[in-house]
Amino acid sequence: MRVAGQPLRPSDEEMTASVASPVKNSPPAKRSKLAIFASVKMTVTLLILIAATVLVGAWCPQESQVGFQKVIEMFGEQTAVKLSELGITDIFHSVWFLVLIGLLTINMVACSVQRVFPKIRTLKQPMPFFTNREISKLPVNRELSLPVSSELGLEKLSTKLRQSGYKVVENGHSLSAEWGKFGRLAPTITHIGLLSLLAGVTISSWTGFSGFKPTPLASAMSFGSSEHSKLWIGKLPEWRVRVDGTRREDYPTGEPKQWYSDLTVIDSQGHELKKQQISVNNPLSYDGVDIYQSSWGLDQIVLQFNGHERRLDLRQMGKVYAAFLPLEEGMILIFSVRNQVQPVRVFAKTPQWEAPRLLSEIPLGKSVRLGSVNLEYKELIPITGLQYKSDPGYGVTLVAFCFIMAGVMLAAVPHRQVWAHVRTEAEPANEETTAEQDLCILSVGGRSVKAKTAFEKSLYSILTRLEQEFAATGAKA
Amino acid sequence: MSELQLAMTNTAGLTSVMSFWVFVGSNISKRWRELMLKVALAVMVVGFVALTVAIVTRGIDAGRFPLANLYESLLWFAWATMGGYLLMQKLYSIQHLGWLASLTAATMFLYGSWLPASQHEITPLVPALVSYWRQIHVPPLICSYAMFFISGLSGLVQLWQSGRLRALAFAVGALVFAISAIGLGTFTSLDTFLLQGLFVGGSIAGLSAAWLSLNKISSGRVNQERAELYDEVGYRGIMIGFPLLTIGIITGGLWANHAWGNYWSWDPKESMALVTWLSYAAYIHLRIHRECSAEKLSLVTVAGMILTLLTYLGFNSLGFGGLHSYGRFK
Repeated sequence: MRVAGQPLRPSDEEMTASVASPVKNSPPAKRSKLAIFASVKMTVTLLILIAATVLVGAWCPQESQVGFQKVIEMFGEQTAVKLSELGITDIFHSVWFLVLIGLLTINMVACSVQRVFPKIRTLKQPMPFFTNREISKLPVNRELSLPVSSELGLEKLSTKLRQSGYKVVENGHSLSAEWGKFGRLAPTITHIGLLSLLAGVTISSWTGFSGFKPTPLASAMSFGSSEHSKLWIGKLPEWRVRVDGTRREDYPTGEPKQWYSDLTVIDSQGHELKKQQISVNNPLSYDGVDIYQSSWGLDQIVLQFNGHERRLDLRQMGKVYAAFLPLEEGMILIFSVRNQVQPVRVFAKTPQWEAPRLLSEIPLGKSVRLGSVNLEYKELIPITGLQYKSDPGYGVTLVAFCFIMAGVMLAAVPHRQVWAHVRTEAEPANEETTAEQDLCILSVGGRSVKAKTAFEKSLYSILTRLEQEFAATGAKA
Repeated sequence: MSELQLAMTNTAGLTSVMSFWVFVGSNISKRWRELMLKVALAVMVVGFVALTVAIVTRGIDAGRFPLANLYESLLWFAWATMGGYLLMQKLYSIQHLGWLASLTAATMFLYGSWLPASQHEITPLVPALVSYWRQIHVPPLICSYAMFFISGLSGLVQLWQSGRLRALAFAVGALVFAISAIGLGTFTSLDTFLLQGLFVGGSIAGLSAAWLSLNKISSGRVNQERAELYDEVGYRGIMIGFPLLTIGIITGGLWANHAWGNYWSWDPKESMALVTWLSYAAYIHLRIHRECSAEKLSLVTVAGMILTLLTYLGFNSLGFGGLHSYGRFK
């Protein structure tokens, strides 16, 4: 524990290391080679620089996600161009950011090899035993005088520590105890997780692929336009995915609740290999490729004009979709649909009219007569937005996530160490005792790197209970 | 909103204000100090229990996990702040922090009550939120934010106990600028760039001035033992909050991968969560490095609290966009 306002003294772990740890015996030549990159100062500097860069990336819309037009909308053309030239509008692909990530990776590997991984060995190292003089120098220490034999005093302390979850080792007149030993492995496990994550991401980047394909009903999606990294050694599948059905489910208020698509995996000859209904948060998996329901819309409306079929493209306009059919003399027919259940509403608009005029509403499969034209509402073709991904590094990434979570959780466990040494001293006769009496002098001390005050509180509570127990025994006697 | 839910939420809000004033009184009156502390703690426990019932009732009324918009997340945040403080109080007996924890919870209640009525109503979920991942991903994040707040507040108390009054004044100034920007962004139509400038400029100026003032010590005000205690409380808060934030970010990545096939898309909210994570990772490494004084580390916890504020509330009110705009109501 540091004194407020003062730089920290060598850590308690380092103190232990000076007595018991094998870490300090690492070959000096290996250290000097790695020393430049294994600096914690470098880690902190890089973490702050990366955090600042990511913060800028969160503030400025990124071209790769929303397009340059959005940047112009937000900042105006002149500033947007300047930001683009500075690399801020695509900061996560900038040389600056990649160099920072590269340096942090090197730093993490160097720190892990030099300091973090060797900590595993310290787990096997038994705790040393301290004399009462050494115990008196520990950050938390106390001396008890108990009216019992030294063996009994030490035994009772050992029992109390065990009851509090400590692992206790006794050696004659000394005792050492430890709590939360595995908490010391937190940095090692976290760093293993972070390095595994890098490995998983690299495997996925070099062999995986991804993409997005809006696919109309009854069409099939292939993987020809997939995106992958420049350094790529993967293979694209030859099978395709056919959309047999797709629909939108709404809340009673009309807001979308869920989108569904019935998909069939087919091979190059058209043989069906797998069928599954997908929805948001419920993808289809086949041959290492996952296909996700990403978006949904209405693509085309099919109408018949006096028996002649016509397909019109639909455009989303708020909660409705509309198709526009220009006629002669500036008149436009507008077909407006809300979903696959409600009828299409047919409007007409001329330059002279202020607003479109409703001509008719036609339910699906029905027809109406507009002047000399028989208009039939034949079909509404929805389109499903399918996102797909092949992620061969998934297993490694998942293991990495588990390691990272376990590591950071272990970091919350404080490591506590306790030492005790017992000796016997003769108490001179006084008014109450007529003869000289043997006293058990119990020196108890310890340390906790992560939480000295809480440790002090808990250790003193154990010692107070011990004193009270002997006081009660003495009173009975 | 059912009557029970409304009554319990109001009880929790009122008790947070009451415990704030009793904690303040306990810091002023030496004579009634012990009694007032017990009363304040009891009131806070009542508020915590009432809020737990309110959240559970809201979940039953909605027929879903009650964490889907800004108002609900504010209830969770207030709950986690009260719970986090009660946990720390049990571990460390940190009465000096009580009024700040109550003030934070009361501010969140007030902020939530000023939100439009549509936020208070139970509304259906958008398709992206219809997933069991929501209850795995969001609660750890909100609880981590609350622990970071407790840690930052401990940092402020640590500065007070170590006699760094000038640095404390500047740090509080930075917080006031940040909170004002968020308040104005939520309830007014001021220019986004102006508000962002107020947040960033005020925070950087305040924290820089605080850093430069750390050598100014009011020696008569120094209580070394308490300064050490609050330094440790700040650290423990982070050591609880950091794993929660990590779990929140990772489960968010797993959810995104499960729903859209992509762990990470540099969405502004994701990026902000990463910034917060990197900042606290830097704090932990600074602590390991052991060349930083407790006061410098306390300022880092205050900076972390401001970043947490930006990630949690500033994201919506200061004009960041992206996938995580569920808390938006403007």
